[in-house]
Amino acid sequence: MRLSDLYFLMPLLILVGAATLNMLVVAVKRNHKVIFGITIVAHLVAVFTLLQLNGSSYQIPPFFVMDGWGIFNLGLILLTSLFVTLLSYAYFEQREERKEEYYLLLILATLGACVLVISQHFMALFLGLEILSVALYSLIAYLRTRERSDEAGIKYLILAALSSAFLLFGMALVYAVTGTMSFPEIGVYLQSVSELPLLLLTGFGLMIVGIGFKLGIVPFHMWAPDVYEGAPAPVTAFIATVSKGGMMGLLIRFFSQADAYRYANLMLIFTIIAIASMLAGNLLALRQKNIKRLLAYSSIAHLGYILVAFLAGNRLGVEAVSFYLVAYFITSLGAFGVVALLSDTERDADQLEDYRGLFWRRPATAAVFTAMLLSLAGIPLTAGFVGKFYILASGVNTQQWLLVLMLVLNSVIGLYYYIKVIAAMFAQTKSVQERRKVLHPALSFASGGAMAILGLLLIWIGVYPTSLVQLIRGLLATFMTTF
Amino acid sequence: MENLLWLVPALPFAGALILIITGTRLSRPLVSLIGVGSVGVSALLTLILGSQFLSAGPTEPVYQQVVWQWFSVEGFNPGIAFHLDALSMVFIFVITFVGFLIHLYSTAYMADDDGFARFFAYLNLFVGSMLVLVLADNLVLLYLGWEGVGLCSYLLIGFWYKEPANGYAARKAFIITRVGDTALAIGLFMLFQLFGTLHIQTIATEAPQTWAVGSQAATIIAFLLLGGAVGKSGQLPLQTWLPDAMAGPTPVSALIHAATMVTAGVYLITRMHVIFELAPTAMLTVAIIGAVTLLIAGCAALAQSDLKRVLAYSTISQIGYMFLALGVGAWSAGIFHFMIHAFFKALLFLSAGAIIISLHHEQNMFRMGGLRKLLPAVFWTFLIGSASLAALPLITAGFYSKDQILWYAMAGERGNTWLYLAGLLGAFITAIYTFRMVFITFYGAPKSHVTHPPGPIITVPLIILAVLSLLGGFIELPHNFGHVVLFSDFLTPLLPAIHANDALGTSEWIFQLVAAIISLSGVYLAYVFYLQKPALQANMEQSSLFRAVHRFWYSGWGFDKLYDTLFVRPYVFLARINKNDIIDKIYAALAAIAQVLNRSLAQTQSGILRWYMMGVVVGALLIITLSLLP
Amino acid sequence: METTATTHLPSDYLPILIQFAAALGFVIFAIVVTHLIGPKRHSKVKDAAWECGVESVGNARTPVSYKYFMTAILFVIFDVEVIFLYPWAVNFRGLGMEGFIQMIVFMTMLMLGFYYVIKKGILKWE
Repeated sequence: MRLSDLYFLMPLLILVGAATLNMLVVAVKRNHKVIFGITIVAHLVAVFTLLQLNGSSYQIPPFFVMDGWGIFNLGLILLTSLFVTLLSYAYFEQREERKEEYYLLLILATLGACVLVISQHFMALFLGLEILSVALYSLIAYLRTRERSDEAGIKYLILAALSSAFLLFGMALVYAVTGTMSFPEIGVYLQSVSELPLLLLTGFGLMIVGIGFKLGIVPFHMWAPDVYEGAPAPVTAFIATVSKGGMMGLLIRFFSQADAYRYANLMLIFTIIAIASMLAGNLLALRQKNIKRLLAYSSIAHLGYILVAFLAGNRLGVEAVSFYLVAYFITSLGAFGVVALLSDTERDADQLEDYRGLFWRRPATAAVFTAMLLSLAGIPLTAGFVGKFYILASGVNTQQWLLVLMLVLNSVIGLYYYIKVIAAMFAQTKSVQERRKVLHPALSFASGGAMAILGLLLIWIGVYPTSLVQLIRGLLATFMTTF
Repeated sequence: MENLLWLVPALPFAGALILIITGTRLSRPLVSLIGVGSVGVSALLTLILGSQFLSAGPTEPVYQQVVWQWFSVEGFNPGIAFHLDALSMVFIFVITFVGFLIHLYSTAYMADDDGFARFFAYLNLFVGSMLVLVLADNLVLLYLGWEGVGLCSYLLIGFWYKEPANGYAARKAFIITRVGDTALAIGLFMLFQLFGTLHIQTIATEAPQTWAVGSQAATIIAFLLLGGAVGKSGQLPLQTWLPDAMAGPTPVSALIHAATMVTAGVYLITRMHVIFELAPTAMLTVAIIGAVTLLIAGCAALAQSDLKRVLAYSTISQIGYMFLALGVGAWSAGIFHFMIHAFFKALLFLSAGAIIISLHHEQNMFRMGGLRKLLPAVFWTFLIGSASLAALPLITAGFYSKDQILWYAMAGERGNTWLYLAGLLGAFITAIYTFRMVFITFYGAPKSHVTHPPGPIITVPLIILAVLSLLGGFIELPHNFGHVVLFSDFLTPLLPAIHANDALGTSEWIFQLVAAIISLSGVYLAYVFYLQKPALQANMEQSSLFRAVHRFWYSGWGFDKLYDTLFVRPYVFLARINKNDIIDKIYAALAAIAQVLNRSLAQTQSGILRWYMMGVVVGALLIITLSLLP
Repeated sequence: METTATTHLPSDYLPILIQFAAALGFVIFAIVVTHLIGPKRHSKVKDAAWECGVESVGNARTPVSYKYFMTAILFVIFDVEVIFLYPWAVNFRGLGMEGFIQMIVFMTMLMLGFYYVIKKGILKWE
């Protein structure tokens, strides 16, 4: 343990400290505002300390490595979590339940995701995964008086435990063959053998189950709609973004450090998964009337898109994944943010009917939601379009014609249900819906501000993607030396 | 200063955006301020840029500005970049300056209209699109502007949409120009396929190295580009939309259907002149199209009774002159005529508008008459515009620009006697129909009352344009007569100069004299027929031949009827047969398949936990099986 | 275990088949044989379902006080803590100052959590 290790782990330590501090404050006196403030400040400080670590590659043996890829993902996760926090305040302020522990759990979940993306060792991987998962169990069921909360929580708990078991078993098998749990050393072992032992392949296959569950890709996707629907809207946003993004970060690190791109079997598995995810996600969303479920299906499809870029397995592919993650995070946060914004004390605004004629009631909110949906559909001048274009470019670049074809086909299918929601928002309603009770306007200031920033970011990245691309390229420089 | 180039098109767009979003809520003075102000500042910027441009010296001055680089992935880097050279400079000057005057005029002309803000929003949008068209440094952006102006033309022709006829006219304009646009698009695809880029300068430098003169590819592409130009510029055989386009408000006719948009075809051909020069057949076709169009449209103008339709046919005819100039390779002469034409035709339309609004939307010339006394200011400006259009010698700008075209049609390397004679005959007809219009409208007994005499906002733009219509010609004088070549010098580094046939060099004054006599005699003929001895006209109307010809010309040579039987009827017939749209069935089937798949997949989302667990387990089994595949 | 791709024959999968047969056979064998050879004496108590000593009559979904779970979870946490403490104590000398600091951090966190637990009244039964 060196002191400089602490310096490089500072963002994570700040999260730990903030979680502890929150707990103490709750113990002394409950105050939503104070806890909210501490959480925001902690995120900001963590981001600030992260900025001090320029993209140099720093090893913290044996568990962690702080390189450009890790820093990129940490930044993404921390900022996303910050936005989730901003959206949460107004959302939870409307509710009776105790609100304060929510932030504690949110910080812990963020911490887990952070551990995940900088780990280069099975132990750290599992530790991060479990911190994330355990926090999520309670986050999902947080509004326990609501009808579907418990159901969602229990479903997630059982399925996550099941898939964790698969993951653990897979890691054990890999360890049994290679005698190491560190990614680079596994890579060294793989270099030394000409043909992979069956046991190792089985181990990898089982690990894919655990990873695939967290990513919510076919055939491990079935939990997604139920959990998305049952969880509070900000938590849904968190699951859709941080939890999936963290796992994606880990997957790419594992594959590049262990150089697993060489194995046709693994690539075949991911190709099938990617195609199945795109198709199943988009087809399932077609006639969906529940916005949260619709977005769940859409996120299944989007992870399929990301896998297309992941399968390119080169520098351009990782760039595309990074860019797409940013675009997808902004878009998901925005979309679920709108859901959170429109929710009332009893239930989340998750029915398509809640959005009918929204444009005429709340033009700004409807405009942001429209922008987000267009970005999800990949319409030009939004971040989603540039991201999708990037993915297409990486697919074409590596001649994966089948995947590219499926991507294009699915974009067309996807357009239908995104446009359907937009059409509903712009529909003229005859009967004036009774206005939902709006809270004190100052309360939704944080949410409104966050939504405005997200909308602007979305358009900005769609119009001037170059700055983001430069940032990603700069950070990937230290990570991608292996390619 | 040159960094401000992007503002020139951006300002009108910004104006349009503001007006579209908030238009109905703003007061009229504010709408006028935004609408006129945005174009006015653009015009001011253009003047500053232009003066800088002129003082930049004899080296070919070109301003390049990359306004926006979207992204750069794998060598594909789309963006918006503007390219300002002498040619674009002339165009943006005309667009912003004449555009500004017409905007100003419109604040008075449209003052009582309900769609005041909408009108200025469209008009600003048009100016922005047109500027993009002429400033684009690649053909995709040019095409964007091309379609943008087409859209605005559609919107503005059908501006008074409550009248169904206006809507039909708008649709007609849109559909017929679309025929040309399609040809243009195919041409662009071919260019991209051959060069791998649509960057205009790159194509211009690479084309002569790739193709020999007269090569097939160059000819095909030149013809496709010509198709686009013909559609937009209302030339034969796609000219039928332009007379009907007069359904729009008169300032629109002045700006879009006379001064700027319809000359986009001229711009396109000039911009791509490298390709046209590699395709002599296409060049000859351009010249022939120009010559035939100018005659046909001129004759049609003779028979019209609606003031604006006369002007519309005259526009077609004058653009025919420009095409003729381009076709014989007199690039600079064509552009010169474009500029002068923009001045006097805008002037004529605006004056006509002033008359029309003074007479409470009366457009029929035969119900006017005697307006010389009633509307003196309009009379004098209209007279100046007419003189320029009829190319009265020495004093008018129109004489100098048209004379140049006629001279090169005869003496240029690609010119020949037939083209010259067509041009000369056209000049004669032009003089007749122009002064027929003047005499019928302004002389004789008054037949209607002036209800709204034009105010200063209407007359000031008229006077400015009248001055330009007179003096604009003196920047380019024939070399045996003053020899001022400011304009062609300005364009020379960009457009190849044309060399006159030396054998005819000394006799140029004869041709000028002939042209002068021709136009003067045309005016005299009109005077005799319509003012001095109206009985002559009455006599002629007795003959059935005359009446048949009159009817034929009145209907614009029956093109509408011809197209109706050739294309519209068969098309409607086919559409009737294919009422249930066979092609559509394929898509309906695809949608149905997606629905079926959705239903069957939805079965898996049962909400039952043990099924989900089974899903995970089955997935694990599949993955292990796959990973163990040899 | 390592076979090359070209030498797969159906007979290579025979061991798997045998494995399946053996597994299935054992299960059937065990079930059948226990039924056959086990003595069968019935009584009311013996035939009742075994539920950890809880009366097995009535609705199974009776609410159990959450305090029970809370106490149980806390028990597990402190149990695990002791598991950490024991090897640390044994190797105390070897781990030295660094080990001491790490354990202090760990214990501090735990105690802070414990403070939270007490303040929230989770250990109060009534």
